[in-house]
Amino acid sequence: MRLPKFEYFAPKDLKEAVSILRNEPSAKILAGGTDLLVNMKHKVECPPAIVNIKGINDLDYIKQDNGAVRIGALTTLKHIYMTSLISEKLPALAEAASAVGSYHHQTMGTLAGNICQQNRCKFFNQSLWWRSSRPTCFKAGGQICHVVNKKEICYSSYCGDVGPALLVLNAKIVVTSSRDSREILLEDLFSGDGKAPLNLNPGEILVEIIIPLEEMDGVSGYTKFANRENIDFPIVGTAFWASMENKEYRVAFTAVDRKPLRAHQAEAFLNGKNLNEEILEEAAELAAKDAKPVKTSVYSTTYKRRLMGLLLKSTVSEAMRRAKS
Amino acid sequence: MGKELNVVGARLPMMDAAQKVKGTALFTDDLILPGMLFGKILRSPVPHAKILNIDTSRAEKLPGVKGVYALAKDKVRYIGDDVAAVCAIDPEIAEEAVELIKVDYEELPAVFDPLEAKREGAPEIHEGIKNNTSFAIKKEFGDVQKAFAECDAIFEDIFYSQPVNHAPLEPHAALAQFDPLNGELTIWSSTQIPFFLRRNLSNTLQIPESKVRVIKPKVGGGFGQKIDLFAKDFCAAWFAIQLGKPVKFVYEREEVFICTRQRHPMYITVKTGMKKDGTILAQKFQAHADGGAYNSTAPTMIALSCYFLMIPYRVPNLIYEGYHVYTNKPVGGAMRGHGIPQARFAVERQLDMIAARLGLDAAEVRIKNSIHAGEPHPAKFIINTCGFSDSVKKAADAIGWKEKRGKLPLGRGVGLAGASFPSGVSNMSHISSGAVVQLGRDGAVNVLSGAADIGQGAETVISQIVAEELGVPIEDIRITAADTGITPLDPGTFGSGVTVRAGNAARLAAISVKQKLCNFIADKLEANVADLVAKDRNIFVKGSPEKGMTLSEAIKSYQYADLPMPIVGRGSWMAPATEPTTLFKEDGNFAPSYSFMTQAAEVDVDLHTGKVKLLRMVTAHDCGRAINPMLVEGQLEGSVVGGMGQALYENVIVEKGQVMNPSFLDYGFPTFLEMPEIEAIEVETDDPIGPFGAKEAGEGTQLSPAPAIVNAIYDAIGVDFMELPITPEKILDALEEKKNRKNS
Amino acid sequence: MKQAIELNINGDTHEILVSPNNTLLEVLRDKLGLMGTKRGCDLGACGACTVLINGDAYLSCIMLAVDAIGKEILTIEGLAEGGDLHPLQRSFVENGGLQCGFCTPGMILTAKAILDEEKHPTEEVIKRKMAGNLCRCTGYKKIFEAVMSVTEQSGKEF
Repeated sequence: MRLPKFEYFAPKDLKEAVSILRNEPSAKILAGGTDLLVNMKHKVECPPAIVNIKGINDLDYIKQDNGAVRIGALTTLKHIYMTSLISEKLPALAEAASAVGSYHHQTMGTLAGNICQQNRCKFFNQSLWWRSSRPTCFKAGGQICHVVNKKEICYSSYCGDVGPALLVLNAKIVVTSSRDSREILLEDLFSGDGKAPLNLNPGEILVEIIIPLEEMDGVSGYTKFANRENIDFPIVGTAFWASMENKEYRVAFTAVDRKPLRAHQAEAFLNGKNLNEEILEEAAELAAKDAKPVKTSVYSTTYKRRLMGLLLKSTVSEAMRRAKS
Repeated sequence: MGKELNVVGARLPMMDAAQKVKGTALFTDDLILPGMLFGKILRSPVPHAKILNIDTSRAEKLPGVKGVYALAKDKVRYIGDDVAAVCAIDPEIAEEAVELIKVDYEELPAVFDPLEAKREGAPEIHEGIKNNTSFAIKKEFGDVQKAFAECDAIFEDIFYSQPVNHAPLEPHAALAQFDPLNGELTIWSSTQIPFFLRRNLSNTLQIPESKVRVIKPKVGGGFGQKIDLFAKDFCAAWFAIQLGKPVKFVYEREEVFICTRQRHPMYITVKTGMKKDGTILAQKFQAHADGGAYNSTAPTMIALSCYFLMIPYRVPNLIYEGYHVYTNKPVGGAMRGHGIPQARFAVERQLDMIAARLGLDAAEVRIKNSIHAGEPHPAKFIINTCGFSDSVKKAADAIGWKEKRGKLPLGRGVGLAGASFPSGVSNMSHISSGAVVQLGRDGAVNVLSGAADIGQGAETVISQIVAEELGVPIEDIRITAADTGITPLDPGTFGSGVTVRAGNAARLAAISVKQKLCNFIADKLEANVADLVAKDRNIFVKGSPEKGMTLSEAIKSYQYADLPMPIVGRGSWMAPATEPTTLFKEDGNFAPSYSFMTQAAEVDVDLHTGKVKLLRMVTAHDCGRAINPMLVEGQLEGSVVGGMGQALYENVIVEKGQVMNPSFLDYGFPTFLEMPEIEAIEVETDDPIGPFGAKEAGEGTQLSPAPAIVNAIYDAIGVDFMELPITPEKILDALEEKKNRKNS
Repeated sequence: MKQAIELNINGDTHEILVSPNNTLLEVLRDKLGLMGTKRGCDLGACGACTVLINGDAYLSCIMLAVDAIGKEILTIEGLAEGGDLHPLQRSFVENGGLQCGFCTPGMILTAKAILDEEKHPTEEVIKRKMAGNLCRCTGYKKIFEAVMSVTEQSGKEF
């Protein structure tokens, strides 16, 4: 399958990159390419221009300063989990990064790329010919969603692994354009709209991920449940962070909604309590109520909800066990 | 065995292993010819429709497009059916051109279920094919009604086996070239059946067979999916003839998933009558095979699923009713086992269930009903060697049957299943093989064989057989195979017949050339021909190695004799048929020999997530004798993982005629992480028909893994699954249901 | 309009004309005749197109050719030393770690990347890192044994 044609830009620095993006509002950013290029071969994304940002220096780093761990957007997933600072102090992020796809995807894929990945659906992630059996779906430029058979709405799922891990670490991101640079909570990046999953304006690029240092004081973990252990997208992914002293807990899921889901209701219920199996089960039920999985894949929503509870328990117990040792 | 063998029986790497690890082994898409053009096929997006009009004008105008042709058909019958083809100077232009072809369809009502398709009033998929049933047979062996009356217990169960895709790593491809002066077409094709392909191309292109040359390059896996003439073969040839340039067609991965072949989904009802001691008396088996839109190998598939119900267990009375029904879905074809895996799943599952209902041990029931060599057979099979009951005992022992079955904690279990497969088929015409062996002055051996090596190692096995016969190491053998312009006939790689058929032909050719040489030098050595042996590159008198000469000297002196003739040995072989049979008209020996095996699985079911992990699979396998144990193990290990995929992971998911998961990502077959422990136990029976005692080893091994796993799941969680695949969701639903039943 | 770029492949510099939308796999096979790198699915899901870029395992079918400028690219053709097979290649041959051979170049290169990273990875690490390379013929067992056999030989340079 050939890639469609596009105009190609390879800026040498960030200034050039944002300037190009300002002039080419429909351009797509190319980082690792493992998501974008597949979608382009399927012709669900056909940007007239591509801006390859891998030539920009100083976007690949992991450092600790100013009360935070700062990770450059182009840091590869492999680099993240191979860095002891992350694997020892922020295990949820390391586990999430090492859960993504195959070894090759982890070598090629970047942190920002994984965060900003396109939403997925069994009607969307298919070739142009395959999709010609039905009217074009809303997300791909048509009018109807084939999952729920409604017009002008998209229910595609967010399936990225690092998203929920960063959410429980209260991560922030820095978004830069030619006009300004803003720092926002990662949670605010996700729109919850399947068709346009990211709250990014044209011309904006995610350049840095910031994790407050105090997150390292907690225990954390991420578990992915998929059909085949590593290589598949999650059926459900669960991230967990806790401060055992303060009995403060954070829970997030992926592949259960149109965005990575921070389970606020479940967290409110858990906070202040000692954790045991019943409490976690109740929390999972609250989280399942928060989630809105639809059948964008071949797995049923009942199964997903069931897995949310299971994974929450296993992620918590694994995180606790690791913390003790 | 008594025989001391040097090359046969040795664990040798494949002869082309070095090429493959270096990346120099050439597959069809690796071949380049000057001026080569690239083709792409337009496929139907609708499941059933009349083609009203095909407008190729815009495609034709695209710069770089050299030809656009509509295929001669009035209807499309499944989403993916070929409609038109394009040829261009590069693949990107070809892709673009296909998108510019406009087809007007008049959609017709479609039918997606074979049981519905069979009913009156269902949409007719092929003109004149009543009830959409392209093939149906009803056969009776013995007297079933009488036998059922004598049974102590009768059990009837319904099963379903899902569509499975072979998913070979190499997509289907063809490269064709035409010489207008002599009218000869040459085609390189990723195919399992070069000679049948030649015949089919000759028929469809209306060119004499003598003008069609099919060459098989390296093939990246087939498993049955590369049997049949595909659009890529026909279109590459057609365009090459029309345009006078070489033309290459390579399928996209989604085309391999949707537009080639898959294992027939089957709806099965089995009624089995037993004595209370577990002896099988009678069986009634009804199968509806969902054929998809076209026929492919339907009759063979149905025949196999019928006849192989009577082996490895004694089923003295059988009624078989089989239907191959069209639906507007992807086409069913030959897939490793070809109709038998589905039947085997059903009968092995039922046998386990019956054993449980009668309070008998599942391994002992199998031993009790096991067929033995030489016994009379309801369908007149001639079973010269049979290691089945031995294989049951060995597999059961190795898995720890006595200690584990029914005794492991909830979630862990062991299960067994047995199978038998033909080593090629006897009762079809054209199933014969030829070989030529030539000797060179330095003792080098040149073998010509029609056998199609698709990665299983056929060329290596054949070379080992020739090397053994001529007393040379395998390094001295050079083999040219699967080129219809050069090599003798061979039907191809299907029905697991290559080792027996092509191996025997090669052995006879080697014997023929050895005989010629020995006849000549016997005089020189003043010995009897019968006393000469070939070993270690020498020919000498048995017991007196000093009375001999090197093979090279022997050949040279032969060539310098008064009447020099080239040293060529020829051999051809066909399975001995007891009577002429045409599959269904008369009974007769189905195959020259039958392999037997039992597989025992140990599984671990995660009671929370429903995931089943296959921990270990033991196969006790009677393939007569392993010509190359390393290659036999390879076949076995691949089959076990393939069977595991069939049991737990794989399903071609079709919604309203559309394949929803036509990609490696979504059609999740097992990876390294799913790999179980695999143990192989050889049961050597040294068959009289096969070369050096060999029987088949490639397909039979994929018949029993799935039922062994499902039987193990029963042992683990007490649930009988009647459908494949068994997904985690199904496990959880079944456990839930079991809990509710207990509580209510 | 195509542009001329330089790619360093197996130690040699090649100047080729490419369009931005050419993948590295297309360039290796169609423009340079390096057929050892295979197209199994063209969507990054099978690993048959694996090449090493600066020693790391990449999927060349979902990588732009222009993205490989300035990098050291190793394909299967560049692995053997002169007439000799690389230890990994030899191990695959001797242990029967292949059947049809189509997935083999990708398997070997991924194994090389793993072993270049750590000389004695655990069994679990090997399985996990090779899980992106699919095989339909072997059931993986002999491939795994071939890789393990190389790790067991100490002091070997890859």
